[in-house]
Amino acid sequence: MRQFIEKNFNILDYALTSLWRRKFKNISVMVVFALVIFLLASFQMVTSALTKTAANSLTQAPDITVQKMSAGRQEAIPLAYLEKLKGIFGIRTVVPRIWGYYFDEKNLANYTVLGLETWEMPTGNELNLTLAEGRFPQKNETGLVVLGHAVHQALDLGDRKVLSFFRPDLELQSFKVAGIFSQNLEILTADLIVMNLEDARQIFTIPGDHVTDLCVYVGNPVEINTIGKKIAALLPGTRVLTRPQILKTYQMIFSWRSGFASVCLLSALAAFAILAWGKASGLAPEERREIAILKILGWETADVLVIRFWESFVVSLLAFILGCTLAYIHVVFFEATLFSPVLLGWSIIHPKLQLIPDIKFADLLLIFCYSVLPYMAATVIPAWRCAIVRADSAMHN
Amino acid sequence: MPKNYILIELDSVTKIYNQGKANEVTALFQVSLQIEQQTMVCLKGSSGSGKSTLLSIIGCIFPPTKGRAVIAGRPLSRLPDRFLTIHRRECIGFIFQQFNLLPALSVIDNITLPLFPLGVPPGERKKRARRLTEMLSISHRENFPAGQISGGELQRVAIARALINDPPIILADEPTAHLDSRLSLEFLDILEHLRATGKTIVIASHDPLVTEHRSINRIVEVKDGRVHVP
Repeated sequence: MRQFIEKNFNILDYALTSLWRRKFKNISVMVVFALVIFLLASFQMVTSALTKTAANSLTQAPDITVQKMSAGRQEAIPLAYLEKLKGIFGIRTVVPRIWGYYFDEKNLANYTVLGLETWEMPTGNELNLTLAEGRFPQKNETGLVVLGHAVHQALDLGDRKVLSFFRPDLELQSFKVAGIFSQNLEILTADLIVMNLEDARQIFTIPGDHVTDLCVYVGNPVEINTIGKKIAALLPGTRVLTRPQILKTYQMIFSWRSGFASVCLLSALAAFAILAWGKASGLAPEERREIAILKILGWETADVLVIRFWESFVVSLLAFILGCTLAYIHVVFFEATLFSPVLLGWSIIHPKLQLIPDIKFADLLLIFCYSVLPYMAATVIPAWRCAIVRADSAMHN
Repeated sequence: MPKNYILIELDSVTKIYNQGKANEVTALFQVSLQIEQQTMVCLKGSSGSGKSTLLSIIGCIFPPTKGRAVIAGRPLSRLPDRFLTIHRRECIGFIFQQFNLLPALSVIDNITLPLFPLGVPPGERKKRARRLTEMLSISHRENFPAGQISGGELQRVAIARALINDPPIILADEPTAHLDSRLSLEFLDILEHLRATGKTIVIASHDPLVTEHRSINRIVEVKDGRVHVP
């Protein structure tokens, strides 16, 4: 047993020396391979980070959102529905909400404006934790807004606290900045402006007995879907969106985009595997001679195969580590610059991402299986062809 | 082992390459030969005479197609390739025509190559190699790449590599083909010294400097795949 272990250490030692001897060839293969892994890992990390960020952000979202639909389009919902909903057992509270888009002609950007009675929300107090500074407007406090970090920057407010919006009748309405959202939630709050319900009603000129949607909070989270079904039955012509459904939609969007991009990248990986095959199978005369010498000196075919295994494993493992490290740096420190246009495309103001990848062992294993295993598989047959070089060929130079 | 112990025994050995194919070649035919321990034998013959094939069978590189070959007490004829390799690394040391060293490896790494598959730890490998480099006066070149040393030093490195396992049999295939007469004689002197220490040496050569050297105990002439023992 001891001899077996020593023998394998010796072969590993020889494989590492052999890799170092052909360092330029091996480093170039490793760099190209690391780039392919970097692309794959970046997508995987961005997707998981976005999904996690979305899931975190949705903890503050209502359990159920009710909207009125007409001819397949959303329209304002009467506040009278609020009373109907209160009759459903299990509903904790219903909070009316107004939201819409405000077009900023100067910056050619759409901001999402949200009018809320935050003090009515069960998690109202916790909402202030989502802010980097300031607070949400309280009851009867009009003319105050909370801005997304990107909106604050787009409006170039600096230290100024006052801003104005045009109403549809072209009258200016002024607001004071009461708070700014934390950058950690930027994926959902980048283009967001939150204000009091009545202020939003003024901005969009929505009648006093209507809002855009009703936010329903339930007592027991397990009952969200059941209560959702009850609401749909009670209020025909409405759209009922539950929080798990919204989270699932986010996951589907990110997964679809990531999957699409991954398929494109897999073709790059396949091209690399073909290149690796070509490289490994074209045995140079010096390599053929070296193997013949080793075999005549008493190395077995299996020993040569083990050398090739270690060489492929070390190259692919180093490429894997390098690729994943670069991907982490790219996602965390460079905000996934290369892929954000592909993965983030629903807002005019692109969020400035502060993504912290949620690295799971399963994700790393998946990238490992996508990259290292195909490379090793692509080099197995060339390695075997290399290992069966006849020992007596060393006799004839 | 008694001094006249038969270390290499071939009985009616035939070697046919590509048997049953259009390009079938009979390289050796009905060769019988016995070589005692601690002798220095020269296989003499021109190119294509079958010397290298005979050396390959003695060196356990492949078994004969027909006949019986017993090398260092082990019959080869039906030995699987893996066991041939194991027997080769335990019993045979090779010295090749152009020494067949790996130019990018250091002298000491070249010498220790046969020890890697034996599971000899690095420290022990170096210790054994140093003993040989000192014996062959090449210790000052230990860490030089083999591609950067002189012809005479290369030849000593090749000898050291052949001796590192302490095998009972040393085989040399045209070892003086690329050496001048001074280095050739020096080489034969080293082999003579090794024979005196108990090694059995078989040299395949058609160089008169070798065939006529005083250290050669016996000449075996190989011609058209047959052996003529004078």
